[in-house]
Amino acid sequence: MNPKRLLSITRAGIMESLHFRLGIFVTLFANLIYLVLVYYLWKAIYDSSGTDVVNGMTFSDTMIYLILATALFNFLEMFVVWDMSRSIQSGKIVLDLLKPMRFRKYTFWSYTGNHVVQFVLTFIPTFIVVMIVTRGAIPLGLNLVWFLIATVLALIINYNIEMMVAPICLFTESTWGINIVKETIVLLLSGASIPLAFFPEKARMIVQYLPFRAVYDIPLSILLGKSGSDTWQGLVSLFGLQLIWLVVLTVCGNLFWNCAVKKVTVNGG
Amino acid sequence: MSDLSVNEAVVMRNVCKDFKVLNRHEGLKGSIRDLFSRDYNTVSAVKDVTLTVHKGEIIGYLGPNGAGKSTTIKMMTGVLEPTSGEILVNGKVPYKNRTENCENIGVVFGQRSQLWWSLPLIESFKLLRDLYMVPQKDYEAMIELYRSLVDIDPILHKPVRQMSLGQRTLSDILAAFLHNPPIVFLDEPTIGLDVSMKAKIRELILGLNKEKNTTVILTTHDMGDVDALCKRIVIIDKGTKIYDNDIEHLKNYFGSYRTLKLKLADDTWEEYLIDEKTTDVMDVIMEKQKEKKIKDVKILEISTEEVIKKIYEGSAK
Repeated sequence: MNPKRLLSITRAGIMESLHFRLGIFVTLFANLIYLVLVYYLWKAIYDSSGTDVVNGMTFSDTMIYLILATALFNFLEMFVVWDMSRSIQSGKIVLDLLKPMRFRKYTFWSYTGNHVVQFVLTFIPTFIVVMIVTRGAIPLGLNLVWFLIATVLALIINYNIEMMVAPICLFTESTWGINIVKETIVLLLSGASIPLAFFPEKARMIVQYLPFRAVYDIPLSILLGKSGSDTWQGLVSLFGLQLIWLVVLTVCGNLFWNCAVKKVTVNGG
Repeated sequence: MSDLSVNEAVVMRNVCKDFKVLNRHEGLKGSIRDLFSRDYNTVSAVKDVTLTVHKGEIIGYLGPNGAGKSTTIKMMTGVLEPTSGEILVNGKVPYKNRTENCENIGVVFGQRSQLWWSLPLIESFKLLRDLYMVPQKDYEAMIELYRSLVDIDPILHKPVRQMSLGQRTLSDILAAFLHNPPIVFLDEPTIGLDVSMKAKIRELILGLNKEKNTTVILTTHDMGDVDALCKRIVIIDKGTKIYDNDIEHLKNYFGSYRTLKLKLADDTWEEYLIDEKTTDVMDVIMEKQKEKKIKDVKILEISTEEVIKKIYEGSAK
């Protein structure tokens, strides 16, 4: 473990991300269009419900949640599945395997640079805009610190989900299909497209304990002071859930990756 | 592993590599059948190769396309596991300790780049310095050495994606030597380069080998590379080693061969490869003279290229 190595990889990642600055602006613009759509969709839902509060959330609660979820999604999004299957098909994976560092560690840290850039250029501006528009609907305090910790945990969980899906693509030789399935499942069950409060009672009971929630819903709930995160007990249980899934998925991601690497090293990919 | 001597950079003993390949069927029906097929074929890419490379040597690892060269290189670097046999690189089994092995080797694949595409070369160097944990002093000394061997300053601050193929290959070679590994693998480093760039790259490899006593294992299809760099060559074909000796010995082996060049009336040169043991060169000239007018005659020693061609063709029979 040498922090200088990791910092150096992150630094290169930041520089590479900044190099594609146009991509960042396009992302911001696409988000804007998406959010307009979300706004009118949910406005229609609230107008037709006849009450101001649906499932315990007001219209502005829902909007704040979804806007931040979108920003969080841009920030946490990884392309491990795409990158890995492309580099296996082209044979570039050999060069990655020839780095003097474990592949999983190396890949994780080379994405970190991009996360840092996205956090500063998409998440923070979105957060500030939400703060200004809602005139301080989000509490500012210790919850910001907890949110950052939860986000880092979410990042690792998300990475391990990717690391489990990528080897599946390797074995089935179908990247697009499996990646779309993964993306849809994660977005739906994590609460990134529909707040979990809107799920039917029984479905919510199950979804609450799945790992996907740990990626988007838990950090957001902590930031917004929801799901009991305003009490120590609630906070501990949310972090506990994240930590359990982090360990489970890291072990699984490791196993899956070892299978994949075995296939590559035994049969040449 | 017992008789490991400090003189050996790479030891391969009876190394075999088999690949399992799915038997694909023709047509749409065949493709659907393939989905559930368990019908595998075993293809032997490398068969029973035994090879020792000494420290500080530059060896040419040659063979026709598909002979198993890259498979061997990949096994030596640790990204492929041999099916059977034993490999030791720097005294260690490469695939068992891949990450550790990687610290002690440098690799260049002529067709791919390990550099950070959108960043200036110097950033790739800095990153590799940290990744391989090269002390700053050694790093600076290495850059100085590079500066004395090639003119690196114009490319140092150029983003890799804006480089010409030649500059990029040069950069990749410099990157592979940066952490001063005892062994460097060069897989077709001069592919697609122009004559002067080829010469520059050969000079660089030779210079680095001399300065740092680096063992270089080179695969190439360019006999110019072989002539300029290698004292010893190993040839494999269809996964089997068919030649392993000095380059001089190779020429002696085919020493009775001569290349005869005849300049005809229309100023074109015709070439004949003649084995003096069986045919007399003079006879051929006389024979040809009866057919057409000859303006000039040249008799040359067989070139490495011709020798290799003969070996490839011979083994193909």
